[in-house]
Amino acid sequence: MTAHSFKEFLLLSVDLTAFEETDLLGTGLAHQYLAKVRDACGEGVVTALLGAHRAARADAAGDAESPDRTLLDRALRHRIFSDDRLGPVARNVIKLWYAGMWYGLPPEWTDCYEARTAAETSTVTAASYQEGLLWRAIAANPPGAKAPGYGSWAQPPRIEARYLKEATQ
Amino acid sequence: MYVRFPEGAAKRTDPAATTDVLYDAVIVGGGIAGAIIASRLSAAGKSVLILEAGPGEDLTLKGYEGYLDRFYSATSKDNQSPYPVVPNAPMPRGTDARRIFPGSPDASAYIVQSGPFATDTTYTRVLGGTTMHWEAKTPRMLPEDFRMRTLYGEGADWPLTYDDLAPYYNEAEREIGVSADVEDQTYLGVEFDEGYVFPMKGLPLSYLDQMVAKDVNGMPVELDGVTRELRVRPWPQGRNGIPNPAYNGGKGYVPQGAVSTYQVEVGGRCQGNNNCVPICPVQAKYNAGKTLAAALQSDLVHLVAQAVAYNVHIDEHTRRVTEIEYRHYDQPDSPGFTTLRARGRLFILAANAVENPRLMLASGLHGSSGLMGRNFMDHAYLLAWALLPEVAGTFRGTNCTGGITDLRGGRFRRHQAAFSVDIHNDGWGWARGAPMTDLIDLVDAGGRYGEALRQGLVDRVSRQLQLAFMVEVPANPSNRITVDPAFTDHLGNMRPILTYDIPDYTMRGVAYARQLSKRIFARLGAEDHTEYDPNFWGYAVYAGEGYEIRGGNHLAGTHMMGRDPSTSVVDADQRCWDYQNLYLVGGGSMPTVSTSNVTLTVAALCLRSAQAMLTQLDAESAAINITSKAAAQSRPQEVAR
Repeated sequence: MTAHSFKEFLLLSVDLTAFEETDLLGTGLAHQYLAKVRDACGEGVVTALLGAHRAARADAAGDAESPDRTLLDRALRHRIFSDDRLGPVARNVIKLWYAGMWYGLPPEWTDCYEARTAAETSTVTAASYQEGLLWRAIAANPPGAKAPGYGSWAQPPRIEARYLKEATQ
Repeated sequence: MYVRFPEGAAKRTDPAATTDVLYDAVIVGGGIAGAIIASRLSAAGKSVLILEAGPGEDLTLKGYEGYLDRFYSATSKDNQSPYPVVPNAPMPRGTDARRIFPGSPDASAYIVQSGPFATDTTYTRVLGGTTMHWEAKTPRMLPEDFRMRTLYGEGADWPLTYDDLAPYYNEAEREIGVSADVEDQTYLGVEFDEGYVFPMKGLPLSYLDQMVAKDVNGMPVELDGVTRELRVRPWPQGRNGIPNPAYNGGKGYVPQGAVSTYQVEVGGRCQGNNNCVPICPVQAKYNAGKTLAAALQSDLVHLVAQAVAYNVHIDEHTRRVTEIEYRHYDQPDSPGFTTLRARGRLFILAANAVENPRLMLASGLHGSSGLMGRNFMDHAYLLAWALLPEVAGTFRGTNCTGGITDLRGGRFRRHQAAFSVDIHNDGWGWARGAPMTDLIDLVDAGGRYGEALRQGLVDRVSRQLQLAFMVEVPANPSNRITVDPAFTDHLGNMRPILTYDIPDYTMRGVAYARQLSKRIFARLGAEDHTEYDPNFWGYAVYAGEGYEIRGGNHLAGTHMMGRDPSTSVVDADQRCWDYQNLYLVGGGSMPTVSTSNVTLTVAALCLRSAQAMLTQLDAESAAINITSKAAAQSRPQEVAR
């Protein structure tokens, strides 16, 4: 595992999850997640996924600071999400970050790309469930861990206003 | 305050040596019923042997943390996920349930289900029993629940009244450590002693409950000519809250913290882990380990784990139980075992409403009334789910803080089943596997990632409302536990066979519940997403409509108590009519399951029975001459006092 591919995996993960790099590093699991994807799908798939993401970023390069969001969205859909080989893996990376679990890929995928280990559903570590981003996204604790404290449930949830927009339409 | 599980308590009793001991009481099962009886008998100076089917080291801190680690690591987080699978003492699991087709029973899991209705009901065979995974709602039964036959011509009457049981409810609430406020719990005839307060103050309603209450409080409901107004009411909870200084005449109450660990943070008070089922990570929730660990401080309490009761031996002349033959397995997963015998003055089966009759029937003891194993009851759960118009922050708090209890009682019970309603703080988890299923759907089918995914999750998950209607099932002799030598487990114990159908009386309550849920959702302006899948294992059709019915893990009725030996199995003290030194205790003794979660009532009944056991022990001091037919044994000795 090179330091370079780890940085690229983080950058990909930021785009996929909408959590910042510090949040992702803060789980303490980023290295293990990259290793998990490698173990499940093989080095070739990881390299291709990171390469496709690099290309998508290049497509969307606006000014030097940040990419054009609309162009990036389109590039990710075209280069990654709609790709037979990379799409399912990218979606699994999202679920890995959000749920702390690797969801087994279907036999069509594993047969085609010869990575049978990818078919097995498994947790990465006992901690990965607790670090799932899903719980942070809904301003709740992972059930059974990170308790918020007595009576906290009587208060409104602390969800950032920008995520409430759709809900209150 | 905390209590340590005594070092080596699970191992300090040499099983082989116990066969030479005559105990005052032999108890089968280390759950709440067995733990309470062991604690009360030993406190009165009586010697006790507890036989526990599961492995016994789990009440140490290491053992408990092992449960937690297993839970965190499990890919399926069902209500048994923290607990070890032990082939020698198998247990049912919610995920076992399969659709049953006529004529072909489902024997794929521990409980053989011959239908016609399949259930996912479970119990936990570990030290501490099902209180390890219980949710810890602790409502008392209503006074009318004890007189169902007389008042409504449905179900059965108890040989006890609410008033008979009330002092034991008080004691059970202290033993479990109940958080509630008397003003919230006084309804439908439930009354408390003058000046009574619960040990701890009630837990606050969740924000979700409050949103529901805004619109539901005051909602008029007309049923059987009576109009009542619904109200969201807090549940009494068997978990630590803020101690009430007025408790016990102003002496206050000291909460019982976690077993074997001192909690510096907030003194063991509920922290809102939202994981009561399957395991409270901080033991703010009561589990029977708290009672057991305290009881085991006494040298009079012996515990043999990995001991599965195999046969209850009786003497037909004296009409007494002489010994319980059990199989002590060497390892959880290998078939080796030793046959041992436990002797006592009294024998107490405290396994549960499935395992008690299973053991009796496997011993050839069908009861002179023929009712052993009959009248199996559970709650039939109907779920209804919707999305609230606003974000409610679902998935916070204990599993359930509030509910609607106004339809637990009333004259309508002549025609249809009563129910209580839970507002689930864990959203559509039970109905549809939320929030993981929402995540998967948004990502895989919805093509969501990044910001759109985060918005989608808040929109889909944080607005979830799930109502769980806990509908009563009356006693019916056809609903029963049986055994058959064709179905055995690894140790050669006969497995329970369940025959179960949901009566029309209950289905009328179910149908009414569904209609009520629609009205509630309409009043809340919530989108109803309830849809019952015809392929669901518990799909039941009534009056042309189909429903998903789930089990409640509230087992009752299989050795029902009564006044008449020809129509019941045990008397009001839970003493078996047929054998004067045998008690069958727990939910199985209950003639109605009504609309209460059973554990508080089980605890109250056992506290009451412990008094009867002590009276009997003191009255029967004659030497018991036991000779073993099976092996040449030295004469049993009284246990050292």
